[in-house]
Amino acid sequence: MKRIIAGIFLLVLISGGVSAVPPRKIVSLAPSMTEILFALGLEERIAAVTAFCDYPPEARKKPKIGGMSNPSLEAILRIRPDIVVMTKDGNPREVEARLRGFGIRTYVATATRIHELPGEIRNMGKVLGVPERAERLAERIEDSMERARDVARGFEKGGKAIFIVWPEPLIVVGPGTAVDDAFRLLGWTNIAGDAKSRYPKYSIEEIIHRSPDAIFIGKGHADMRKLSRGILRRLEMTDAVRNGRVYYPSDALFRLGPRVIEGIRELGNYLEESRNE
Amino acid sequence: MSEARNITLLIAACIVIVAGCVFIGPTFINPLHADDISLQIVTAIRLPRVVVALLMGAALGASGAVLQGILRNPLADPYILGISSGAALFAAVGLLGGSTIFSRLTVPALAFTGAVFTGAVVGAMGYRRGGIWPERLLLAGVGLGFLFYALIMLLLSLSTDEGLRRAILWIFGDLSMADWAMIPYGLFFILSGLVLSLWRAKGLNALMLGDEIAHSLGFSPRKERLILFVAVSLMTASSVSLGGIVGFVGLLMPHIIRFIVGADSRVLIPLAALSGGTLLCVADTIGRTAVAPMELPSGIVTALIGAPYFLYLLRKQDILGEQ
Repeated sequence: MKRIIAGIFLLVLISGGVSAVPPRKIVSLAPSMTEILFALGLEERIAAVTAFCDYPPEARKKPKIGGMSNPSLEAILRIRPDIVVMTKDGNPREVEARLRGFGIRTYVATATRIHELPGEIRNMGKVLGVPERAERLAERIEDSMERARDVARGFEKGGKAIFIVWPEPLIVVGPGTAVDDAFRLLGWTNIAGDAKSRYPKYSIEEIIHRSPDAIFIGKGHADMRKLSRGILRRLEMTDAVRNGRVYYPSDALFRLGPRVIEGIRELGNYLEESRNE
Repeated sequence: MSEARNITLLIAACIVIVAGCVFIGPTFINPLHADDISLQIVTAIRLPRVVVALLMGAALGASGAVLQGILRNPLADPYILGISSGAALFAAVGLLGGSTIFSRLTVPALAFTGAVFTGAVVGAMGYRRGGIWPERLLLAGVGLGFLFYALIMLLLSLSTDEGLRRAILWIFGDLSMADWAMIPYGLFFILSGLVLSLWRAKGLNALMLGDEIAHSLGFSPRKERLILFVAVSLMTASSVSLGGIVGFVGLLMPHIIRFIVGADSRVLIPLAALSGGTLLCVADTIGRTAVAPMELPSGIVTALIGAPYFLYLLRKQDILGEQ
């Protein structure tokens, strides 16, 4: 009994301590962070975002503080935010150090993979005073990961895929990325999964040699079909091109935020389609 | 007499422009009605940027004026000797490697090390029989520059991380993160270089007349070159480490100033420094204002405003003193 009371007391203390001063004015320094903030229902509290924050559409209406790697310190300072949310791999450390120097609180998201995202969102929820909403969003992402694993179990063996970000120069998606994670969850192999960097400039010979069963191109760019004609001609002897398994997905998996749910589902649908022919 | 008037006008214009730059930015700050935030923005962000821009530009302008003299080559600029490539290579290693244990001064310190190292190597290659030889120095610098440039491109092409974008911005000259911490070091080395150059300015004047005349005037061309080369290396190294590579200022500013005030190094060096600093200050102000709140690297802006003016002078005026 004592323990339960102590436990409840502790819980009240923690939640009270956190929600006592939820940050009111938030500045986001990354499109993925902006999407998470909107998904957590914090639209009203977002004081400014980067020039690249275009999703959801309401984000475009928020005041801008510049780019991701070179935001305007002046513009941030002028807003006097209670907290600046940023990412470890998208924003320079110098910016964080300078902001701290001005006595501005920062939250630096470190997640770079899908499986790290639910934990990151729960942390953000605690820091921003919306733990319940964060919990719900985190669970939705975990559910979508579970559904992807179910899809994978439905097949005996997954195929091989390549995700081309840009055809010329040929940049593909490598390991340590959300796209690579999604392939893995769906039971597929990314043929560039053994590359040395996350978005390597890749060898076209190597793609032909490893002959993917499905090819994904672009980040939802409108002209991508036209832009990729040349590369597809050179890849025409691969199974993917011969069987017409070339897909043009959206950019949902390129921002580690709530839209990874859509991204996983989208990729899953294409892969199932390629299987069921 | 008109030269004295030109000099006074130039100095006055520079002072007014630099003072104005402090108040111009994404938002104009009225010095008479500044609130707390504006004051903080001015003291913590804009003033350090203005000071760093002045120091960098001054170092480049003065270095260019000195180098064109000791190499007797109108194409000489502080970057032709490979010093900037060396600095950029070392800085790129820091920016791309990017471990969190490094402090904010790591990249400038690495860049300075790279620049001084390169300066020493180029100096050693250009050194023969007790002095520095202009052609050897130039070719050693260009050769080493190509090597370092290739190494930088190698590093960049093997890296696709966020450090890449940061490295590219840095290489183009980025003053947005300038803060007071690095200013004392820059001030010390750049002032040392300036004092050294001014001390040997008479020697430089003699060198420009040719080695034999310099000798007959009582100067040792080799010794003068060595001292001036050390001064240039110090200034260039500090400039690059403060804010990356900013083109145009070092190559063309000395020509413009020489056209306005004449070729006497005692006047040319300080004024090339002052106007180089002012130009970079203006460029950085435009960079932070023109597309606010986005920022343009200052190196791009200096060339965009400086190059057309220089081309105009080249076409319309007798800038090389041919007539």
